[in-house]
Amino acid sequence: MLKYVIKKLITMLITLFVIATATFFILAAVPGDALTERVEKLPAQTRMNLYKKYGLDKPLMERYVITMVGLFKGDFGESILYPGQTVNKIIKEKLPASARLGLQQMIVGISVGMVLGIIAVMKKGTYIEYIILIVAVLFISVPHLVFGLGLQKIFAGTLRWFPVIGWPKGSQVWFGGWKYTVLPTLTGCFVYIASYSRLLKTSMLDVINQDYILTAQSKGLSESQIMRKHVLRNSFIPIMTTLPMSVAMSITGSFFIERIFAIPGLGMYYVTAVNGRDLPIILGESVIIATLYIVVVFLTDILYTVIDPRIRTNASKSMVD
Amino acid sequence: MNIEALKDFEIIGCEGTDKNVISRPTITYWQDAWRRLKKNKIAITSILVLIALAVLVIIGPTMRHYDYISIKAAEKNTAPNAKYWFGTDNLGRDLYARTWLGARVSMTVALVCTAIQILIGSIYGGTMAYLGGRTDDVMMRIIEFMTSMPSLLVTILVMLVLGNNMFALLIALSVTSWCETARQMRGLILQLKTSEYVLAARALGASPKRIIIKHLIPNTLGILILITASSIPTYIFTEAGLSFLGMGLQPPDISLGILISFGQQSMDFYPYQLFYPALILCITVLAFNLLGDGLRDALDPRLRQ
Repeated sequence: MLKYVIKKLITMLITLFVIATATFFILAAVPGDALTERVEKLPAQTRMNLYKKYGLDKPLMERYVITMVGLFKGDFGESILYPGQTVNKIIKEKLPASARLGLQQMIVGISVGMVLGIIAVMKKGTYIEYIILIVAVLFISVPHLVFGLGLQKIFAGTLRWFPVIGWPKGSQVWFGGWKYTVLPTLTGCFVYIASYSRLLKTSMLDVINQDYILTAQSKGLSESQIMRKHVLRNSFIPIMTTLPMSVAMSITGSFFIERIFAIPGLGMYYVTAVNGRDLPIILGESVIIATLYIVVVFLTDILYTVIDPRIRTNASKSMVD
Repeated sequence: MNIEALKDFEIIGCEGTDKNVISRPTITYWQDAWRRLKKNKIAITSILVLIALAVLVIIGPTMRHYDYISIKAAEKNTAPNAKYWFGTDNLGRDLYARTWLGARVSMTVALVCTAIQILIGSIYGGTMAYLGGRTDDVMMRIIEFMTSMPSLLVTILVMLVLGNNMFALLIALSVTSWCETARQMRGLILQLKTSEYVLAARALGASPKRIIIKHLIPNTLGILILITASSIPTYIFTEAGLSFLGMGLQPPDISLGILISFGQQSMDFYPYQLFYPALILCITVLAFNLLGDGLRDALDPRLRQ
């Protein structure tokens, strides 16, 4: 197990390094940079000084080494679009908004989705099941773009229950200011409700058809005992594999929601940075998001072997593939 | 034994000999799947809706004699009426033609990207499973690198490099999506390769070509159809999202995402400008999703619940 963890850790680091390198060279290949527009009308000397300030006058390889050393130390450099602000500071300020939005969506969405999935299985064949399934398909088919705009129009525009845009600031970054977060959270959480209720339903029905459920029934266990001890426990395994994807999705998926509700999160900044060719921010955010993603996937892999003993027995072999 | 001796025997009846003859016509897997699909009313409705959408997407932009680009200053922001079925936008352009043209672009993007994904994915996955060993390892590592980056970031980066045109969008959307398909195909083919009936076919002396054509391709086709049905909505979503963020196609090109983004700017005053593109988007995706569910039930009876 330890050997497996170490091997995974090393792969993780290499992956991160490759991602950072790839991002750097992809960005270097883009014609024009953040300064092109700004320096257009400036005298040659000022232009040169500006390029010098951001290190853009150096040859590509030297810039690459400097950037990589910076990344290694955890310093992403200074933003070009927002002079005087380091990328680290921007990320530190913007990450909480994105993280809170993502977390709230996931907590609400996944718990409601799983409850609905369980109800759908328990009430199999009744109209309750059909209603849940229809609602799930409807929610999956409405992009959160459209959904968000609709909610915004109805609940903020017409009914005026919630603010149209905005996000809690200052000391309320993590708690408080709930009225701002209701609509964005609702917008995002329906995707989770839809996908997790369907996923849990499928995997529960899959487990119910297994032989060990028949064994449990023939032993005379009660329906609720079978549900709790056998069905639910086993059907959570596919849920665990989708969870990291959801965590990663919750950040990049919120790009649209952040745009609709003008939430000052990573997504908003990323989009502005891409449009303004602000390389340090793009690189910094890409690396941060990729890191989060990789770490979560790594943790699930470990978690996987803890939850499902069937995998643990040949962990080192099957998991490498 | 001579002829004389045979005369001692006589036939006393052979009514029962055809008992083992198969009297019903044999039904292939695909006929069976089609039979199951036909019984599914929701799936059939989705197919009809999709056919209607396809027709409208082809003839819609030109059927009303108002093109999508000519500006009429006198008829700005008119609400839907008999002349302009979906109304006009802030420059007086016919939204009916624009919406269907946008839907055409969105669907084209989705279909082409799905085709690229399936094609590259199955070739890559098949090669991995076929060659195995070291090559398989290396190719798998490449997939791991590709998938360890959030796909939206990759898409945005590719758009940044290639610019905001149709070609760039197609590349950007399919640059990472084939990885998952390749992985699925690899797993499936590895599983098929070791299955009993492939072993039996090989024991009977079937050539690799015959095994691939008769066993591997038909058995992977079902999964590929399912992947297709579930990928198309994803592409439609992502394209709309990117265009909405201003990172996909850009005006004067139009797609559903661009129309929705325009619609958002004026949704308080002219909600119909947002409503129709959004509605078409939702109907399309809903129809594909429902058809996908129906296909899953029809193609994989084991998953049928």
